[in-house]
Amino acid sequence: MAIDLQAIERLATDQPSLKAAAGLAKPAKWSGIGASHDEALIWGECAGSGANPYRVMADLRDLGNKCTCPSRKFPCKHVLALLWLKAEAIVPFGAADTPDWVSDWLGRRRTGATAARPVTPGAPVAAKDVRAALEAEPEAPEDPKAAARREAASAKRAEDTERAILEALDALEQWIGDQLRLGLGAFVDNATARCRRIGARLVDGKAAMLAGRVDELPARLLALPSGDRARGAVIELGKLVLLARAFRAAPRDADIRRAVASAESREAVLGDPAALRLTATWEVLAEQVQTRRDGLVSQTTWLLNLGATGPRFAMLLDFFPASAGKRGSVFTPGEQFSGELIFYPGRMPLRALLLSRAQAETPAPDWPVPEAALPGMLSAPLRAEPWTIDVPVLLPGGRVAVDGTGRAWWRAAEGGMVLPVAGAAEGLIRGTDLTRAAAIWSGGRLDILAALTPWGRIGAHG
Amino acid sequence: MAEAIYDALGPALTRWTMGGAAAPVAPPAWAAHLGEDAGEAELRLLALSGQFLGVLVTPAPPEGLQPLPDVPALAMPALPETQRPLARRILRTVRDTGSRRDLLRFLAARGWTLHPGDWMPAASEEDVPDVYAPWRDWAEGSAIARPATGEQLTEQNWDDYWPAARNVALTALRRRDPAAAMALLAAKLGGESAEVRLRLVGLLATRLSDADRPFLESLAADRAPKVKALAAALLARLGHGSAVGEEAAELAGFFELQTKGLIRRTRVVAARQMKTPAQRSRRQALFEAVDLAGFARALDGTPEELIALWPWGEDRQADQALAGMAERSGSDALVAALHDLLLGLGTVDVPAMLTLAPRLDSAQRRAFALRVLRAGGGTFQMALAMTGGESLVDGAIDTIAGTALLGALKAEDAAKRADLTAELHALGLIASRGAAQASLERLASAGLLAADPRLDMLRLNAALEDGGNR
Repeated sequence: MAIDLQAIERLATDQPSLKAAAGLAKPAKWSGIGASHDEALIWGECAGSGANPYRVMADLRDLGNKCTCPSRKFPCKHVLALLWLKAEAIVPFGAADTPDWVSDWLGRRRTGATAARPVTPGAPVAAKDVRAALEAEPEAPEDPKAAARREAASAKRAEDTERAILEALDALEQWIGDQLRLGLGAFVDNATARCRRIGARLVDGKAAMLAGRVDELPARLLALPSGDRARGAVIELGKLVLLARAFRAAPRDADIRRAVASAESREAVLGDPAALRLTATWEVLAEQVQTRRDGLVSQTTWLLNLGATGPRFAMLLDFFPASAGKRGSVFTPGEQFSGELIFYPGRMPLRALLLSRAQAETPAPDWPVPEAALPGMLSAPLRAEPWTIDVPVLLPGGRVAVDGTGRAWWRAAEGGMVLPVAGAAEGLIRGTDLTRAAAIWSGGRLDILAALTPWGRIGAHG
Repeated sequence: MAEAIYDALGPALTRWTMGGAAAPVAPPAWAAHLGEDAGEAELRLLALSGQFLGVLVTPAPPEGLQPLPDVPALAMPALPETQRPLARRILRTVRDTGSRRDLLRFLAARGWTLHPGDWMPAASEEDVPDVYAPWRDWAEGSAIARPATGEQLTEQNWDDYWPAARNVALTALRRRDPAAAMALLAAKLGGESAEVRLRLVGLLATRLSDADRPFLESLAADRAPKVKALAAALLARLGHGSAVGEEAAELAGFFELQTKGLIRRTRVVAARQMKTPAQRSRRQALFEAVDLAGFARALDGTPEELIALWPWGEDRQADQALAGMAERSGSDALVAALHDLLLGLGTVDVPAMLTLAPRLDSAQRRAFALRVLRAGGGTFQMALAMTGGESLVDGAIDTIAGTALLGALKAEDAAKRADLTAELHALGLIASRGAAQASLERLASAGLLAADPRLDMLRLNAALEDGGNR
């Protein structure tokens, strides 16, 4: 089905949308472009500001469309850009099986609800011009004094932020001391209210990431058996002290700053020469979506590097407001792809951005053999960054066993190591050998994400 | 060294738990590093303790960790890997147990099971195909391994079987050797709970004969009312129901024998006019309590005469109630005759036939499903209710129901959307593989995109080979 630029011009809400779409209608911005066999549907993934690309789709029969970006413009610049790519045949839209996320949208849409809105006759039409959108805007000459003022203001803001954070960390340590004096037994019983108060102080002190971590601390404690919670509180509060001290010692360290204040922007990571780039075959282990107390939803995708070099795991992390509604999954657990990732700089690179992805090679590579002994794999990240909460680990062969109370434990096939499993580990995962398993070691428990078994690959989260 | 620190940490942890300074009782190895300031010392000790506990200490497993038995392989293979994503998507949409049961039956009819990574039944989930019995038993006794037994079920090995596997074995025994199954039940029934007794007695419905009569009569002394009622219903099927009692006479009072026709005089049973909702309610309750033979005798006839003289189509509620009475207490021959009669009616009485369905074999249910699809007003959902996913219909889209569906798709509006989703799903469950493929082509011509998730069940059907047990 054909589409032309005039249709895109009519579809756009305003000229800035067309301008933005023109900037995005470039092959380098897109991956996973495809069309249904009947050519009615087109789709693609466009790099946004988050870790995951935005998923963009359109029904060419009525120009109905959807994008996972948070823009309130309808259609957004990504949709316009996708249509632009199609109209101008800038990239080939190879026929392919329709991905689940496009089918899901198709199933949910009411005919006409996400279709192109017709222009109301008689209504004033905003001037939109596709040709004008393509013209590069002349750059305004740089005013050296204005640039200097901007830089000075930026430096002042950075200083103020650092001072605010340091004061907030003082308040945090004071608060921790208070919890020790009042008793950790009482702290565990009142953790939610107490953490909320110090969390608010940290937000005021521009330590947003640390505030989020403190906000979620009660949930992590309550996930432990009641007899382990006081010990868990010692570990959690101890990590906060270590993180606060680390920030004081190195406030410009990217890793530490990311754990306390905020992560660098996508542009900053892309422009950082120290950021590790890695092209490899990746397997999607699991996706975890969590609604946080601060009103944000975190979407974490865990990836396993099936290659021989580079970090074994990668974590893609995005946040979006809970008010934005449910977002579809970006990946399918078990999916393999060939992709380039760029890691946020750090001692043990883990958090990453997806730069590009393509079909994985066939046949699909096997999961690698764990490189090191398990105790070392569990402790090495915690020695490098002692404030770390989640440590991804590739387990050797083993099996789930249960104790007399029904609690699940993972037991290695060789070597005798036994580790507690988070949750009930119900179903197939407790009734088969786990040839390999990928898990998150967190709070002294294994959260198994996926495993290879005689039954094939299984996910532990459904 | 680590052991010593761990032991020395105990008092510090106790003080912190209760509230108080722990630095004075810090492990000696750390004491020198805590500093002079009391507050600072607490924080340093906390940091060291947290790191120690988080890195070097893992909870000790208790004694007696038991690995669980392997999830057993089933008699049918699990879905091929290529079909699993589609099956998982369908599973997410079939939330109620009835819809899931239809999917399971469909897959079993084609020789496949779901992959255990995608779904497994709970131990108590009875309404799943027998092929899943080993998984139900695994879920029930997953802490204890029992030796698998392939022997014939006997009194001696009765307790060696897990419940679901025992039901399957007993059902197979009943089909093969009804007398042996009945003798086994007579020996073992008393040791089971009421719920289990009810289920086991229900198995006697298969190949029911007069040889079962003495045992069924002995169940009049069972302590569970439902078991007694079921035994009485099975006796009624054999023609040994209770004599015409007050209730049968009362129900007969709601009807009368009339003679109709001017030239050809025929006798019919006619319903008397009911004046109040209470009467209607009472009549319904009597239908559920009285057996067919008793009702027929109260009207001075036989069950066969009763169904032949019944005014089918005049009172749908009474029709369905009589069908329910026949299902509960009619003989196999009478049920077959009633099925043929309903099949041959000018109008399709779906509720009555659905009520009779548990007593019909798959060929009979399939025949009625086809009747429904070829009649005006019939739908694929009605046909699915009859077949339960076990019968595969050729040429489904070419029936009147198919034509109606294609017409509705072309005129689709948002209000009818949910109906069409269920109808397309039902079509996917009852169509044969060839019919599913043909349906997809016709639906594409009607404007449905191949990627439309409403076609998921049809796509799975069309892509699925017949499984490894065929």
